[in-house]
Amino acid sequence: MTKIRKFMKSFGWPRIIIGLFLLSLFIIAPFVGVNLGTSLSDTLIRFGMNSVLVLAMVPMIHSGCGLNFGLPLGIIAGLLGGTLSIQFGFTGGLSFLMAIILATPFGLLFGWGYGSLLNRVKGGEMMIATYVGFSSVAFMCMMWLILPYNHPTMIWGYAGSGLRTTISTEGFYLHTLNNFLQIQIGEKLIIPTGMILFFALMAFLVWAFLHTKTGTAMTAVGSNPVFARASGINIDRTRTLSVMMSTWLGAIGILVYQQSFGFIQLYMGPFYMALPAVSAILIGGASVNKASITNVVIGTLFFQGILTMTPSVMNSIIHTDMSEVIRIVVSNGMILYALTRKSEVSR
Amino acid sequence: MSELRETKGEKFFNIIEKNAVSILFLIICAVGIAFSGYSLGYLGQEIITRVARNSFLIISLLIPIMAGMGLNFGMTLGAMAGQIGLIFISDWGIAGIPGMVLAMIISTPISALLGWLCGKILNMAKGREMVTSYIIGFFINGIYQLIVLYGMGPVIPIKDPALVLPRGYGIRNTVNLIGIRRALDDVLAIRVFGLSVPLMTFIVIALLCLFMVWFKKSKLGQDMRAVGQDMEVARAAGIRVEHTRIVSIVISTILAGYGMIIYLQNMGTLNTYNSHMQIGMFSIAALLVGGASVNRASIGNVFLGVTLFHLMFIVSPMAGKNLIGQAQLGEFFRVFVSYGVITLALVLYEIRKRRSRTRAGRLLAQDQLDAIKEEQ
Amino acid sequence: MENKRALLKRRIIQLAVIVLVILLGAVMFVVGKEHTILLDNKSIESGGVTYNAFQVVEVQVDGRDKLELGPRDRDKEVVMGQRHKVTVTYFDKYYEEHVVVKKFKVPISQKMVLISLPAVAAELDQSVWLTNYEAPTLLNIPKDEEPIVSDDLIPLDF
Repeated sequence: MTKIRKFMKSFGWPRIIIGLFLLSLFIIAPFVGVNLGTSLSDTLIRFGMNSVLVLAMVPMIHSGCGLNFGLPLGIIAGLLGGTLSIQFGFTGGLSFLMAIILATPFGLLFGWGYGSLLNRVKGGEMMIATYVGFSSVAFMCMMWLILPYNHPTMIWGYAGSGLRTTISTEGFYLHTLNNFLQIQIGEKLIIPTGMILFFALMAFLVWAFLHTKTGTAMTAVGSNPVFARASGINIDRTRTLSVMMSTWLGAIGILVYQQSFGFIQLYMGPFYMALPAVSAILIGGASVNKASITNVVIGTLFFQGILTMTPSVMNSIIHTDMSEVIRIVVSNGMILYALTRKSEVSR
Repeated sequence: MSELRETKGEKFFNIIEKNAVSILFLIICAVGIAFSGYSLGYLGQEIITRVARNSFLIISLLIPIMAGMGLNFGMTLGAMAGQIGLIFISDWGIAGIPGMVLAMIISTPISALLGWLCGKILNMAKGREMVTSYIIGFFINGIYQLIVLYGMGPVIPIKDPALVLPRGYGIRNTVNLIGIRRALDDVLAIRVFGLSVPLMTFIVIALLCLFMVWFKKSKLGQDMRAVGQDMEVARAAGIRVEHTRIVSIVISTILAGYGMIIYLQNMGTLNTYNSHMQIGMFSIAALLVGGASVNRASIGNVFLGVTLFHLMFIVSPMAGKNLIGQAQLGEFFRVFVSYGVITLALVLYEIRKRRSRTRAGRLLAQDQLDAIKEEQ
Repeated sequence: MENKRALLKRRIIQLAVIVLVILLGAVMFVVGKEHTILLDNKSIESGGVTYNAFQVVEVQVDGRDKLELGPRDRDKEVVMGQRHKVTVTYFDKYYEEHVVVKKFKVPISQKMVLISLPAVAAELDQSVWLTNYEAPTLLNIPKDEEPIVSDDLIPLDF
């Protein structure tokens, strides 16, 4: 009994409510004519699409930089990688690989700058991260217009310059990961093995890194900066490293998202992408200064599960699509819950 | 004992840094005006309209800054309350000044409730008020949509088919506020040098400014400043810190609701689902442009800020078109500048906070050194 | 004890303020309520007598511009508040000018009222010339939504 109570406490009541809500949605679904197989595969596909973006939260939370509201910066690195890969004429699976390779220097560079900035504003990271994300998106809006891209699939036909708002990834890296080792059970249930494997690989890399010497130093910086300084860890460098990792993961994350979604969304596209990722990891049980891979997996499954299930189930029951409102309330409510928790390190 | 060890160069640098955002904006505006080709008359008229439209909203931000709670991103809550008031009076067909007053009366309890809730939550998140109030804005926006998009119609009686969506519930995307359009502005519109000036609106704003000046000196205002300086010291002095903080947010939210009503009577159209989200960002950016910072803002900052910010806002599309041949670039530019300004101001504030901390340490060390020397 | 009395006093003042504000709201409701007044120049029958429409008639609501109506014309004025004045100017068959001024009060619940000008001119009872008007449902279909007037900055639709 105490074990259960202990588990309940560590899991937190918001998660239990959300979990039960999701469970009830899955139970109701067959009775209102929603196909479970489709729902499950949708959930899995959306899990695959978003999980790497959520994973991008982990390093920064570990080093005590708080929730990565500046995720759009990483996404922009990914967008640069993706568009450059298409611009240089790569196609098919190769274009995905090249997109990752091309996005990497941008991710690391942006991350370095972003990390150095965050080191100067310790204590106020989250608000500044939010606005770094916003201003970089707005800055890139100008850049997408004037950068000398000229690949015909990407630019406005009539103007002859400036990138389109959405660019199809078809013929380039559409479904590169989705189709890799895809398993189809029955008619409706599809398991996007490739995407899940890719996430597993990324998650393993992060996990392994966190268990190296530098990784444990990072955790030390996040959980006890005074102790970390005393044991001779360069705090600023460790924090910068974590921000670079987060930014790079954000870049990879958006590429995975695009290869499944089918479109590269430029301009205002990345604007609000941080909030869903932030709330997903919080739903998974992370707090402002503690996060694990398990949090990422559970959180993304729960969050994306709710996003998939509510519209279809709600629509069949009350013929109204209230899912958007539910999403806003649940995800922001979750962030609020996390922000108001007393954390071990007060900031 | 030891005077501030600050050279002339340092002093000059400090002044520049304190006003960095305003100076930067002044330069942007000057370049923008030169390239936009707008006449001074046109710009003057636009500025007068926008100062009248936005000042009230921006002044509502001052009180939480006084109480040390930073920029109140939760002012969107007040804006939502104001909008709910406007939806009701539009449905009832109440027009003119009475309509505005009634909308304000309706908005007040809603604002107060939301502000109280916001204050409670912010008290649980001390030290990160800004990011929390920012998320509260989003969270309450969800509730607002739930009420306005699903509740209004049969549950909360709204009958006018011009307001309700054809499906029978929910408010339309845009609500035409024909009844109160320019109701306040036109009460006492005078012409000065060929520019029309909505004098009544300015009188209302002036009254609010007087209220702010009085409030700063009142007991509650003094308490708030004490809380803003140092919560622990204030608590030791017998001030109810939590209560004071909540009150500051409640007042700010209520004022933001009134400000939103004044703003929308000038616009004449309510964007049911966007107006309130944009207004928070606008107002905060404008205040920061005026040289305010996270912990220090005055009425002067409000007017300088609203003028400079909107000047940039008006000229940049045209300047973009004339400079590079794309008006869209100018539009993106002003979005970038709005966000960039907030970022810059927040970063400068944090850096300054750290530096003043280290400088205080340095001075203390110097003091002690002097003391040792004297003893010898 | 003293404290309790002060608290009571405070509560009473608070209550009074709330009541006052609610009263102010009610006053604003009455004063600001918009009513549409339809001015109708159409033959009307009352008590077995037919009052014919005018060939031409001038009508003025409160101090506004005069409206000129031909037979079977109908025009409207949107007014605020309950108490108003209607001035009807017409010529009889001897080309003599008559001016009839009537003051009236629109019931608060009525969004639209119809004033029959021939009945006003005949100085009939108010209940004859001032009637509630329910717009046919067809009129209730709203026009296309107006273009949005706004300072659109960013698509902020999270």
